[in-house]
Amino acid sequence: MKIAQEIRAGNVVMIGTEPMIVLKAEYSRSGRSGSVVKMKMKGLLNNIGQETVFRADDKMDQVILDKKECTYSYFADPMYVFMDENYEQYEVEAENMGDVVNYIVDGMEDKCEVTFYEGKAISVELPNTIVREVEYTEPAVRGDTSGKVMKPARLVGSGFELPVAAFVSIGDKIQIDTRTNEYKGRA
Amino acid sequence: MPTCDIFCNVIDNYGDIGVCWRLARILAHEHGLAVRLWVDDLPSFVILHPAGDAEAEVQQCDGVEVRHWYGTLAGVQPADIVIEAFACRLPDAYIQAMLPQPPVWINLEYLSAEDWVESHHGLPSPHPQLPLTKHYFFPGFTRQTGGLLLERDLLARRDDFQPSAFWQKLQIDPPAEDTLVVSMFGYETPALPSLLNLWARGTQPVLCLVPDGRMTRQVQAHFGLPGRHFFNGRLEVRIIPFVPQAEYDELLWACNINFVRGEDSCVRAQWAGKPFVWQIYPQDDGAHWPKLQAFLDRYHADTPELAAATQPLWQAWNSGSGAALTAAWGDFVAAHGALTWHAERWAEYLSGHNLALNLLDFCQKTGKIRAFQNSGTAT
Repeated sequence: MKIAQEIRAGNVVMIGTEPMIVLKAEYSRSGRSGSVVKMKMKGLLNNIGQETVFRADDKMDQVILDKKECTYSYFADPMYVFMDENYEQYEVEAENMGDVVNYIVDGMEDKCEVTFYEGKAISVELPNTIVREVEYTEPAVRGDTSGKVMKPARLVGSGFELPVAAFVSIGDKIQIDTRTNEYKGRA
Repeated sequence: MPTCDIFCNVIDNYGDIGVCWRLARILAHEHGLAVRLWVDDLPSFVILHPAGDAEAEVQQCDGVEVRHWYGTLAGVQPADIVIEAFACRLPDAYIQAMLPQPPVWINLEYLSAEDWVESHHGLPSPHPQLPLTKHYFFPGFTRQTGGLLLERDLLARRDDFQPSAFWQKLQIDPPAEDTLVVSMFGYETPALPSLLNLWARGTQPVLCLVPDGRMTRQVQAHFGLPGRHFFNGRLEVRIIPFVPQAEYDELLWACNINFVRGEDSCVRAQWAGKPFVWQIYPQDDGAHWPKLQAFLDRYHADTPELAAATQPLWQAWNSGSGAALTAAWGDFVAAHGALTWHAERWAEYLSGHNLALNLLDFCQKTGKIRAFQNSGTAT
């Protein structure tokens, strides 16, 4: 048993007879000493998503799932295919990819963690920090090397855009925090 | 007739029971529900409703069945609408009894002006083990929240209010026209002596009315006397009996400025349409500060020039800083006319968003209760 406050995105909890994967968990202080946790969840069996709110001390059964280290292999619409060290392939539905889909690039070598429920691959996580190449951004601004002024940049492969430091140029490789989708620095 | 159970776990003071008792009466009187109010601390309830009996297991009070809440409640048949106030835990046996015919199960949350409340209001909270779903209902100040508790006739009664009868009831001579009349309902604060001294030394006469409560002893200690009526310079302080809810509204209407605390009296001060100073329920880790600021931001969103008069005083009162309070008081009083104008408009704006109506509408939309018309009358 865990309390709602301890549940993190990526955890799976049982709601009734339905295993639900938590896509997002947001903690807020209520009045007095109370707190609430808003969770965006999705049923692993029925794929139905919903937003919910719990008392921070509501008790929940967490489901401990199998995980395997894999690398991205290819996309076969609507499935992303990952492969483990034994060349076993696992398919993850596109809508279960979450933010990971922003960083999928053909030939990527990042070690991903694929999560399984009853033998089925249900989600995937990237390392906390990854490196990606900038496909396009406005020209670098001379003189500002502080990193505080940001501008949008588009990544090679996914076309995902995120704010980067003003001095970043096309072709630069940048570090990204995959938990927050934030630019961390030049690689 | 639809039935409703309201559960109230009294934590301290009169905020929890104040909100629950008010909601119970509105649902019973204005919407025809058969309401049972379950209270775990009847003596606190009786202070708000002196005609009540602190020992009775079951009693009829002002159209509401008030029940002493203790034990498992085994054998109790749940109502059509079940409201747990402020996330109090319902007994397991009562939850089990919901299973055959699940009611509309609401958790009525604390009032907050913070932005996150809008995105949380109305969300389901599925029971982790049982096929039951509770919904979170957040009071608030915007259309995306549940609104505020407001009796149907409150604003009309406020507008027709004649202070002379009120003063007579309190056995106090009506104050002179130039007297600043202040009500003072709050928790103990180190800022109070500075404020009382400031009023005593001021040029304008001040009549300060303090309902019996946590501040009473602090006032008596300030004057070094055990009495209930004090004078110092331009200041007159009267300790008055703790009044029932309806009479508390009259006190707020009769005063020029109201010091209020917690949730229920803060809302009533807003309905009064008078400048007020809110002492928010303090939390150990300072979690109350963003809540106070969120309310100030919302209250003065369209009147930033008045925020400069309100904010420093509220912050000083809540931080307990006598020096800051003394510095801020002048600006607040100087803006009294504009603050009154703003408070009246604020009350008018809020009045379009009635919590009881929103709550019943919400219950109807969950698909479980269909027997309410738009007027809120049970059919």
